[in-house]
Amino acid sequence: MLHVALSNIKTYARRYIAVVLAVAIGTAFLAATLAVNSSTQATLKNSLGESYKNADLVAYSDPNLDPETTEQTSFTLKETDDIRKLSGVTEAYGLGYAYGQMHTSDNGYNVQVQPVDPKQGLGGMELVEGRAPLSNNEMIIDQSHAEDMGISVGDVVALDDEQGKAQNIKIVGLQRSSTNPQTSAYALAGMSEKAWSNFAGEQANFNDIVIKGDGALNAVTQEVQDYFADKKMKDIAVVTADQKVIDDVAQMTGGTDQLTVVLLIFALIALVVTGLVVVNTFSVVIAQRTRELALLRILGAKRKQIRSSVLLEALVIGVVASVIGVLLAVALLAGLIALLHALVPSMSYAAMAVTPVGLIVPIIVGILMTVIAASLPARRAMKLAPLAALRPFDSASVKNRAGIVRIIFGAILAALGVALLIFGAVKGDLIVAFLGGLLSFPGILMLASLFVPSSVAGIGKAFAGKSTSRRLAALNAVRNPGRTTATATALLIGVTLVSMIMVGGQTAKASLNNSVAAEYPMDMAVSFFDGTADEAKAKELAEKINDVDGVSATTTFASTTAELDADTGADMGLDGPVQLQLLSVNPEEFSKTVLDQQIVPKPGEIVLTGWDFGKPTIKIGDKTLKVRETSALLSGSPIAEETLKTLGLKNAQTYPGIIVKVDEDVAGSKINELVTEISDITGVDSSMIDGGVVMKSMFSQIIDVLLTIVSALLAVAVLIALIGVANTLSLSVLERTRENSLLRALGLKKKQLQSMLATEAVLIGGVAALLGMILGVAYGLLGAQSALSEMGKMTYSIPWLQLIAVLAISIIAALLASIMPGRRAAKLSPVEGLATE
Amino acid sequence: MPFWLGTLYSFSMTSETLPKIDYAVATRGLTKTYGHDSTRVEALRSVDVAFARSKFTAIMGPSGSGKSTLMHCLAGLDSADGGEIIIGGKNLLSLNDDQLTEMRREQIGFVFQSFNLVPTINAQENILLPLSLAGKKHDEAWFDTVIKALGLRDRLNHKPHELSGGQQQRVAVARALLTRPEVVFGDEPTGNLDSRTGAEVLSLMRSSTREMGQTIIMVTHDPVAASYADTVLLMKDGSIVGTIEEPTVATVSEALASLAE
Ligand SMILES: Nc1ncnc2c1ncn2[C@@H]1O[C@H](COP(=O)(O)OP(=O)(O)O)[C@@H](O)[C@H]1O
Ligand SMILES: [Mg+2]
Repeated sequence: MLHVALSNIKTYARRYIAVVLAVAIGTAFLAATLAVNSSTQATLKNSLGESYKNADLVAYSDPNLDPETTEQTSFTLKETDDIRKLSGVTEAYGLGYAYGQMHTSDNGYNVQVQPVDPKQGLGGMELVEGRAPLSNNEMIIDQSHAEDMGISVGDVVALDDEQGKAQNIKIVGLQRSSTNPQTSAYALAGMSEKAWSNFAGEQANFNDIVIKGDGALNAVTQEVQDYFADKKMKDIAVVTADQKVIDDVAQMTGGTDQLTVVLLIFALIALVVTGLVVVNTFSVVIAQRTRELALLRILGAKRKQIRSSVLLEALVIGVVASVIGVLLAVALLAGLIALLHALVPSMSYAAMAVTPVGLIVPIIVGILMTVIAASLPARRAMKLAPLAALRPFDSASVKNRAGIVRIIFGAILAALGVALLIFGAVKGDLIVAFLGGLLSFPGILMLASLFVPSSVAGIGKAFAGKSTSRRLAALNAVRNPGRTTATATALLIGVTLVSMIMVGGQTAKASLNNSVAAEYPMDMAVSFFDGTADEAKAKELAEKINDVDGVSATTTFASTTAELDADTGADMGLDGPVQLQLLSVNPEEFSKTVLDQQIVPKPGEIVLTGWDFGKPTIKIGDKTLKVRETSALLSGSPIAEETLKTLGLKNAQTYPGIIVKVDEDVAGSKINELVTEISDITGVDSSMIDGGVVMKSMFSQIIDVLLTIVSALLAVAVLIALIGVANTLSLSVLERTRENSLLRALGLKKKQLQSMLATEAVLIGGVAALLGMILGVAYGLLGAQSALSEMGKMTYSIPWLQLIAVLAISIIAALLASIMPGRRAAKLSPVEGLATE
Repeated sequence: MPFWLGTLYSFSMTSETLPKIDYAVATRGLTKTYGHDSTRVEALRSVDVAFARSKFTAIMGPSGSGKSTLMHCLAGLDSADGGEIIIGGKNLLSLNDDQLTEMRREQIGFVFQSFNLVPTINAQENILLPLSLAGKKHDEAWFDTVIKALGLRDRLNHKPHELSGGQQQRVAVARALLTRPEVVFGDEPTGNLDSRTGAEVLSLMRSSTREMGQTIIMVTHDPVAASYADTVLLMKDGSIVGTIEEPTVATVSEALASLAE
């Protein structure tokens, strides 16, 4: 049957283009995920391995080796020296780090200083200019920082140690800059071992001793191990440098493994969607080949032979597509890394790594997925009666009997899942809700044949109105309900997930904003702690800030301290004099700038924050103030100016400040600019401007970034599904060649035929997107509810604009998907079409 | 024999001689070739022919003589290489695709051998299809007349697959008649029917020329079917080579036999 399968593929090659594309993209996603993982490891290995570049062995402390040691022990200079004397050891140096600050005439830099010795291979460093440091007041420094600081060989700089003790030191050489991401924040300096141990003082210890040996490494390893055993240092491990790098990478990549898992989930989604496209393609292709297959049966082909011929086709397609996909992924990643190298020279340690497993697994998964997905239609083909070849082919409408088993199973899953989901949402239990989603979504998908075709038919009818060609399109869209369901479901999966995270993200943003507003009742507060502005100046600056774009109101406050009455302090469980920070405000203006009216003091009141103070009043001096309580976070207790005056405080330290309210429609990304602008106006460093708006913008930026990444990942699934729409449509068009030609003969214009096919695509794509959106909104709201309800009051928010964009994109893409099949259909002259069997 | 058929026979028809009689369809110098070089086939060799209005004409000839090609060109389904085809005062060869399409839905009717109906819609919708594609209303009285004449009254709500072969062809005839086109083309319209049902459909076609004044041109290879026509045109090697007026099964069979020699 192989030649039958191969010649089928050859004959119907065009029909398989789309499915090959879909499988290739799905496989590429998986391969890229695995390659990202292995490349991250290789990159880390490149950079972490730098310290051990010339080494054979590494000795380090592993507390796990000795039950009595709980902390990592470090090595002394003496131990390093001892090891150098061991037989078989040619070089040994300790990896030790001391930190300090280096000053040039106009700036200071953090430096990390390592001991280096020209005899000992410079401690893993590579000298590029000058010479190694020898005496106590010499040092080398890394090239790129030297450039930044404007230092060259021969310069003398000031160096402070961690205790702040200063010395002058001469730069005698430059070394190559490090690519280790862990150390790149520091300028890397090297001193002679002796100078270093002086500089580091008590901290002059090494984490690792790096050893180069000659001859048999095993013997050297034994030698070093014996040395430490003699010293009763049971926690010391001696391993090869390669092994050490691998261990370090494994330790560091706990985080990237999670990334891989997350990426794998998205790859899985893309593959499920691809599987649906494959099922659909093979169903259609087999339906079109009914007569041919039945003829084979008449001519003596056994059922199993028919099935294996179909599976063989799937296998060939799976192999071709998966290999293309993996090559695509490798090429893409190699391109990205090359781009990175070209654009960011300091990332030169980024490396591409493809493991054999990373290549083979995606290919096997791609092939298996294709063959398994094709096995469903293949089974149907097998059941074909030989007589089907003789039956006239009626393509009016195909009744697909939805598998009753599938419906029951789907219904159970959906019911169970929805129950869990709602339970999780009500109880605020994300894990239960997640499980509910995991069960209900596949359940709902299994039930898709119950609601997708009827939705398409209903919406199609409403949309068609009086137009005949649109009416025909609507009828065609549901002509084969099974096919429509599978095509739409593939798209529905992606759209549901995309809209779910959009709604979830938006709701999370809104809810976080609200809880931030409750905790931080002011958008921004600028305080002049250092007395750079007096009250009059603050008022003037407040006026200025008021004119800034995006600022809706400002007011000033004066911060002052007052001593609480001793009894009150005692009541609060505090002894000694209790100082209370007061914010004196003009209540009227204050109420216009804060987000929570609860914190606005009335005359005679003081607002106390976050204190569990059960009494209705407190005393300051001889004045009794009514307490107004709030849960908001404030830097002081608001009190009305007039009330403050009546307290008659003396000698109180006072400084002014400005409260800024920001327009509600200022985008999160603009907040930083606004903060900078206000910082410029007031001369207060932007890091000293605090308030809820900064928090809000941080939260929403984090959520936005997450949303963008997840949407981009899901876009792959959506893309594959759209290829599926194009595929189904073009296959259906092939199947309806005669019918379309008849319509052309009867007076359907080319344009009308094209728009008829476009309508069909838009109906399937649009309705799938619409249903996906409805599901996604429901899942998003329930998911957000279960994840966030613990935080307090939920604020439901639906990003209509984004959802409409998703719908619009689906519709436009469906339109595009109809172009090719439409062109081909319109090109055919009516006679040619009518002549085809 | 009307004089125009004589001129036809001698291939010397000119437009000056035409206007005296009312023609629904006329061609001049119609040529069509397929392929090139070694595969070149001259399917139509400068065909001059005219079809009288309100007549039922059958085109016959051996297989490969160019009957289907002629009909497809006349019906605007395929493009000829040269010459003229005049229907309703317009030369089909000078029309673009959209104009040709409009021509087909308004001036030309079709009855194909099989696959005549759009399977997703019912009989009535199929009958009304050319009009609804043009966005036009149908004439209720005329619709009733046609339906009644074809005996389709109680089949209107059926989908094509619920109709028998004969009923399907009758629906196709009804659809062709409903627009009152200049001409209805039939391509072996009874080829897939048993003889009794075929006879029924042919009588209906004939009576539509007699009673409704419809012009019909039909391609057939069946002498029995041809005997329902008013005139039979004989084709061979891409040319019209003869006519038979008031044909009978015997005269048609005889003429065909002599063509085959
Ligand atoms: N699409 C085509 N391509 C090439 N040759 C064709 C095509 N259609 C018809 N022919 C040739 O043109 C000639 C006339 O064909 P046709 O009109 O189908 O004859 P008939 O209908 O009388 O059997 C034949 O020789 C046939 O082989
Ligand atoms: Mg023919």
